[in-house]
Amino acid sequence: MKNFRYILFFALLTLFGGLPFGSYAQDGSALPTEKPKEERPAVRFNGLGRTILQDTQIDGDALAGDTVTSRRLTDGEFLLDLEINAQPNEKTEVGSILRLRNEFGGFFGAGMSVEVRELWARGIIADALEYHVGDMDVAMTPYTFYFFDEEGSVNLPEAFRAQREVIYYEQFYHEGNTRRVQGAKLDFGLGFTKILREADFNAFISRVRGTDFLITPTRFTSGGQASFTTRKLYSDWNTKADFGFNLVHTFDDLMSGDANRGIRNTVGTFNWNVQIFKDEDYALNFLGETGMSRVIDKEDSTFFDRDDVFLDVGLKFLWKKPNVSVTASFVDVGPDYFSMAAQSRRIDLRNERALYDRIGNEAARRPLSMFDITRDRALYTFELSDVLMPYDPRFSNTMPYGLATPNRRGFRFTAEQGADQDLVNARIDAAAMTEIRGQGTEELKDFLLLRGSANLNVNKLIDWDSRQRITLGYQYESTQRGGLPVEQIDLVSNLLEVGVETELFDGFDILLGMKFLDARGNEFIPTIDQFNEVRDFPTRFEADDREQLYAAGFRYRFKEGVYLTIQYHGLNSRVQRPEIDNFNLNQVFVIYNMMF
Amino acid sequence: MKQSFYFTLTLLIAVLFAACDHDDTPDGPSIEDRFGPFELRDSLQVSAESVDFSEGESIFFTAEFNINLDWRIEITGTESGAFQRIDGFGTELNEDNSRWAGRTTALPFFKQETCQVVFTLPGRDDYTDTLFVEVLGSRNYPGTLFADFEEPASNHIELGNFEFELNLPQTGRTEDITAAEGDFYYSMRGTDDVVPNFFVGLINISSTITGETYIQFPTTVPSQLYFNFFVLHDNSPHTIMVIQFAYDTNDNGQFDDGIDETFAVEGDFPLAHTGWRHFSHPMSATGISQEKLEKIVAIRVLLISDNNAQPTPPLEVGFGIDYMIFTQGAPLQL
Repeated sequence: MKNFRYILFFALLTLFGGLPFGSYAQDGSALPTEKPKEERPAVRFNGLGRTILQDTQIDGDALAGDTVTSRRLTDGEFLLDLEINAQPNEKTEVGSILRLRNEFGGFFGAGMSVEVRELWARGIIADALEYHVGDMDVAMTPYTFYFFDEEGSVNLPEAFRAQREVIYYEQFYHEGNTRRVQGAKLDFGLGFTKILREADFNAFISRVRGTDFLITPTRFTSGGQASFTTRKLYSDWNTKADFGFNLVHTFDDLMSGDANRGIRNTVGTFNWNVQIFKDEDYALNFLGETGMSRVIDKEDSTFFDRDDVFLDVGLKFLWKKPNVSVTASFVDVGPDYFSMAAQSRRIDLRNERALYDRIGNEAARRPLSMFDITRDRALYTFELSDVLMPYDPRFSNTMPYGLATPNRRGFRFTAEQGADQDLVNARIDAAAMTEIRGQGTEELKDFLLLRGSANLNVNKLIDWDSRQRITLGYQYESTQRGGLPVEQIDLVSNLLEVGVETELFDGFDILLGMKFLDARGNEFIPTIDQFNEVRDFPTRFEADDREQLYAAGFRYRFKEGVYLTIQYHGLNSRVQRPEIDNFNLNQVFVIYNMMF
Repeated sequence: MKQSFYFTLTLLIAVLFAACDHDDTPDGPSIEDRFGPFELRDSLQVSAESVDFSEGESIFFTAEFNINLDWRIEITGTESGAFQRIDGFGTELNEDNSRWAGRTTALPFFKQETCQVVFTLPGRDDYTDTLFVEVLGSRNYPGTLFADFEEPASNHIELGNFEFELNLPQTGRTEDITAAEGDFYYSMRGTDDVVPNFFVGLINISSTITGETYIQFPTTVPSQLYFNFFVLHDNSPHTIMVIQFAYDTNDNGQFDDGIDETFAVEGDFPLAHTGWRHFSHPMSATGISQEKLEKIVAIRVLLISDNNAQPTPPLEVGFGIDYMIFTQGAPLQL
């Protein structure tokens, strides 16, 4: 396993890709806009203006006798992000976003900041090689470099989306599960006339952490993909294949500062999507990814060296006429599989929350709630973590680190029907997993995850032009483990989401939303020491929790991307822990958002 | 075509088997050993019922139980109130993890006295065990002792009450309250109500208190020489303590105010604590050079009233000081 055959294969294939076939530039976002020169201004201005004002109140049994916690907090911000794109010539484009921000209540410069939020340059060399330097968004495959979605939501009601949009914008969470990094990338493609249709090669390197010149070295993440598409391999069935080789390497530069400890995390994978059969009505694909990881932690002469493998293989069936697709997969991700860029979570529970992180005279830490997940941007991050980050098993226990969650083996199932604007569109996801390696025992945990979501566009039913939409989301998750009584685990959680969006008149929407969480049972949450190493189980996690989060308000859409919304959100949290009792959070907020 | 199919199938099966082969040794400590029912196998015992720390002796405790637990030993001096805590995790207490060599977690130091030892398991209120240990001699800490006020200072300490603001009955060597070390400490109290200029009073402690003209430091490298002292305070507001080190500028072997150069830590010591507290700083924090360190002729301790924050009339301020000791390389390890 320690011989990196994948890397060698990848390297050879990259060399192979360098043979003199006809080359062409790949079309894509990294290219300057392909408009006729006379229509394209040399400098363009876009941007975002946003105002948030919010008033938050807390009460409940947890604050009985509390003389420390302020019962009411009012805060907000005004900001303008001015995006400037300049295209000095046809082959080059530079862009930046300048941010002007003032906190609510800031006067005469106090609380005001001016910063560069984004800066990049991109272009084409010799009509063949794209480059991009500066801030960039990178995503590869779910097991190599991928920013999986946060937990705590299945089909988020529209009423909660305005605040989530703010989080996503602030943390650079974009389509395609990309992660924001700073560095450089190259991209070029080749066309073929036999067997292969085309090949695309890209590579990037980014600095994901700076040095403190003492004990923390600079950290870089680099990677690349070689992706291939074949021509029809068997014409009667329209058989063809997409496949690729992926490599991600994260490393510490021990020449920076006085650090003598650093890591190397290398992940190499092979992914494929073989279209076995396709006609006008049906399609059948064989798809998956397999690969391995290796992590080395070096401190002077001491080494931590571990590797592991994974396999994700499945079939996808598409029935075009009713627009139904079904995917079933077998998954096996080794306990020591470590892929920093694919396993780092969006929600970092170690972060201090912006609102009421600690309450009570004893300053007890308030447990994570749906209130926090739906709005607290301080909870979110886009940083890479070199240790498996802590998680809350009430919200996600089957795959807390996305598809690349280590120590899981089992089956996944997905069925989808309809498109977003159809009368009904729905999706079901299921996963039946088990641990590969026990934690603190030979006994293995069994996980069952069921997720269902549906959107009902009522206006299609009654033939109205105005938007009338009901959204539903439901998640059931169960974790079981047998063995001795002290080893047994039984944790069940249910998450229900209901949303209503009704357009009363042109652009004016009434928004209603509800989220319910019920979690009961026990679990042992390990303390992770380094990488995937379990150090201890500090205490038994026991839950008998019920949370309800309600939302009501309205939104006026002036035009696409410009809206004003005023809402009330209320959380009832019945979470009884030794350190904290029930509490309620109520918030009234105003968001004015303007994309221009 | 058929051969290709079988080749692909064989390759696929090989990949499947290779990708599903993992090390399945359980992670982490055993859950059963961590959270199973508690059972005491051996109760708390001590290696010796009496110990003389001044002779370099130490003791340790033993106990054994069936599961891994957080455990805690708390030792309290029945006379001094000195307190030492030892925390650990595991299934047993032994000479490696519970040894006590007379150190203290919280001031004051232990004296020659009987100490109560309480053994508890944090998180488990259903178990506690107690025993007693006799301390025959307290620990000797490494370093160069400057003053601990255990003996009358004679003419080595000069009291400066120039503005008649010191509360003289409460100023001087005393044993009214348990000292941080030994029996005596030096108390300074007063009110800046005669000449409201922040200054209340001072003492000049001559280096001759050590029996030498100049203090014989363990090292004269300022960054490696640490000055340690213990301060008693009642958390009343407005007290500031200043400590100055006097360099014998005119080489006459005694402190001449206004002639000899003095060095102090920038920022002084605003006091806001209750009870005894350990202060420490490297001598480099005073800006003194190695050459001048070789001729420190006195240490001056000043009582200052923070008049900017004082009400009218001003409140009394004060503190106690004990065990002024220099250590090499690191602050004094309690």
